[in-house]
Amino acid sequence: MSELLVRSLEASTVFLLAALGELVNQRSGILNVGLEGLMLFGGTAAFLMAQSTGSYAAGLAGGIAVGSLLGWVHGLFSVRLRGDQVVSGMGLWILSFGLTTYLGSPRTGPLGLPRFPALLGLSPFVYFGILLVVAVWFVLSRTSLGLAIRSVGESPAAAAASGVNVAGIRYLCVVFGGALAGLAGAAYTLSYNPVWNYNFLMGWGFVSLALVFFSMWNPWVLLGGSVLFGAMWQLSLSPEYVLPGVLSRYVWRTVPFAVTIAILTVISTPWFRTRWGLAKPQALGVPYGD
Amino acid sequence: MTPELERRAPAPVLAARGITKSFPGVRALDRVDLEVAEGEVHAVLGQNGAGKTTLMNILFGLIHPDEGELYLRGRRVRFRSPHDALASGIGMVHQTRRLVPAHTVLENLVLGHPGGRGLLDLRGARREVEALCARYGVHVDLEARVWQLSEGEKQWVEILKALYAGVRILILDEPTSALTPPEVQVLLRALRALVDRDGVTVVLVTHKLPVVRAVARTVTVLRAGRVAARLVVSDTTDHELVQHMVGQEVTLPAVHTPDHPGPAVLQVEDLSAYNDKGLLSLRGVSFTVHEGEIVGVAGVTGNGQEELAQVLAGLRPAASGRVRLLGRDITHLPTLDRWRLGLGYVPAERAEVASVAALSLVENTGLNYHFDPEFCPRGLLDRDRLERLTRQILATFRVKAPHPYVRAQHLSGGNLQKLVLGRVLSRRPRLLVAHLPTQGLDVEAAAFVRAQLLEAKARGAAVLLISEDLDEIFAVSDRVGALYEGRFVALVPRSEADPETVGAWMAGSMGRPA
Repeated sequence: MSELLVRSLEASTVFLLAALGELVNQRSGILNVGLEGLMLFGGTAAFLMAQSTGSYAAGLAGGIAVGSLLGWVHGLFSVRLRGDQVVSGMGLWILSFGLTTYLGSPRTGPLGLPRFPALLGLSPFVYFGILLVVAVWFVLSRTSLGLAIRSVGESPAAAAASGVNVAGIRYLCVVFGGALAGLAGAAYTLSYNPVWNYNFLMGWGFVSLALVFFSMWNPWVLLGGSVLFGAMWQLSLSPEYVLPGVLSRYVWRTVPFAVTIAILTVISTPWFRTRWGLAKPQALGVPYGD
Repeated sequence: MTPELERRAPAPVLAARGITKSFPGVRALDRVDLEVAEGEVHAVLGQNGAGKTTLMNILFGLIHPDEGELYLRGRRVRFRSPHDALASGIGMVHQTRRLVPAHTVLENLVLGHPGGRGLLDLRGARREVEALCARYGVHVDLEARVWQLSEGEKQWVEILKALYAGVRILILDEPTSALTPPEVQVLLRALRALVDRDGVTVVLVTHKLPVVRAVARTVTVLRAGRVAARLVVSDTTDHELVQHMVGQEVTLPAVHTPDHPGPAVLQVEDLSAYNDKGLLSLRGVSFTVHEGEIVGVAGVTGNGQEELAQVLAGLRPAASGRVRLLGRDITHLPTLDRWRLGLGYVPAERAEVASVAALSLVENTGLNYHFDPEFCPRGLLDRDRLERLTRQILATFRVKAPHPYVRAQHLSGGNLQKLVLGRVLSRRPRLLVAHLPTQGLDVEAAAFVRAQLLEAKARGAAVLLISEDLDEIFAVSDRVGALYEGRFVALVPRSEADPETVGAWMAGSMGRPA
């Protein structure tokens, strides 16, 4: 039972890290639907780096670096070239999916390193994730950088008229989001489930993306949502812990995705949007400039 | 300026000399001079398109002049961006709001403030802003989100933002256009306090004479990109100002008005409508347009003309009142049924509303025929027929287009307008509503469009022409009127008015007693 709890929290942390980066991204007005791809690439890079050097630090660095790079590429398309952010994000996902399959397939199998060090029985990523929630909340709500980020995501013209460098802020946020996506992928392949498989993430990136919408762009709600989804996921792997004999595990596996669809359906209703709509950055997905 | 005037006037704190600015196809400003003395309200008066906003955007560094220089306290300055202007103590409140709607008032005030680095000191900012509010008698809830505020409050937030940033010269572009009359009074009172007590200099762009009268000491009148006059407000009359605004080179070609009007085609009774912001901008207008008659409605943008045209076309619900077309109540009829009854509508936005840029000319013609069984038997487009009609329109309306299947976006504004007008008139409408039909057109195209309006009238159509161009209104109308703040100031036979009088109506003044 306590094993289930630990595993749930660790799964939650992967969702949390990726979604937190995407949240900052989106608060600046940039939508990256290729989150899954960034996590796949970051996770694969971390796995390969750690395996070939034998160092977890090198693996983490590799994951973060690759994630940041992909984030910057997305910035190039959506900030500099003012392209369609959905197309660019989907492109990054498909590219990452293909490339990581090519790069990772020969190394299919376990990482082969001693288990990732734990801190008080939990993966250190769990603590880091919670600290990061506090930090993101603080920066967004209490600093002038945070005000600039939020303003750029809501109304870039107003921000620019007030002397804010819109493109600079957006690049900063999209690279930050990419770095966290890479880190989330690394947390998955180094700590949560240190085995490389074809399509090992199985849609976790898309769940994280949905979590950002679910959170109403609030880091604290995001924390709660991540824990909920992590628990649901873990439960779907071993439902016998809670409800032995009720429904097949294959049905349980669909639960997180079914809930994702349900939540996305609810938040896209006119009722929900009129009540909470202002939480969504007004300029989300809209290129700025001429 | 003559030497003696120079000696008497106080040294200008802000001056522009010989400013020229051209945009593709238009000379927006032609060697314009502007002088603003320290601690006064200087009004810049002119009709739409006179170049007022362009001049202000140059003063604020948003656009760069082709020629000419700016002087601040006698020293030559160059503003590369608004940032430079702000650093020199010049702030601008634009016609369109530049605020973040989802943020609180306080957050908007703090955004980009020169003192803001690192942690946000919202408490300190609140104290300073509250002091500013108290000083000018303004009540704004600093914790409210900007989207919750009225237009007047939003404008105040922008003014406060400029003052909080320490601006000494404040440019206000049409500040009263979005305000209710009581809000205008508060604003004008505060402007006086700003100038008299704190020595702030205000440049006020407007087309409303009462506003100029209420606060400005001096005024520069712009007409068609040139300075028409520079005057001290107390030494001039409304009549003189209007003359400078409108110009005098108005010629009246003969329009044959029959002695007895035909039967009524359009009857509007006490019609009101809300604008997009939810303000009642059309406030109870009543009029009739008869067969074979052109009624010209003048007015400065934003006084209810757009709402009137859209309500008549069925694109905007009427808040109250009644519209009858050929005796039938159409107040709540869908647009398509109005077209079937004989409405023809030429919207002001020819590239956005009147046509679809990515569709061919033939398909654009089809926009007025898709509901016509002759052109769409059993729901299938009869392309041959549509093409023949399009070719006919291209020929009779002298549209310059390579072929009927070129996309609408490749036509110039004038050619597109001729196509739209030709399409609408080819239906032989009983009522034609034409909103700004010649805006932005060159002289030749504009003359052609006006001739077509007269021809439609000769065929017996009732025509409602909504325009800002007084020459145009007087060139074709049988009756003329002006909307000001959603009401008709007057609507009289053309022989009983002249362009100057109507110009005064447009500015909210009754002009000379008739």
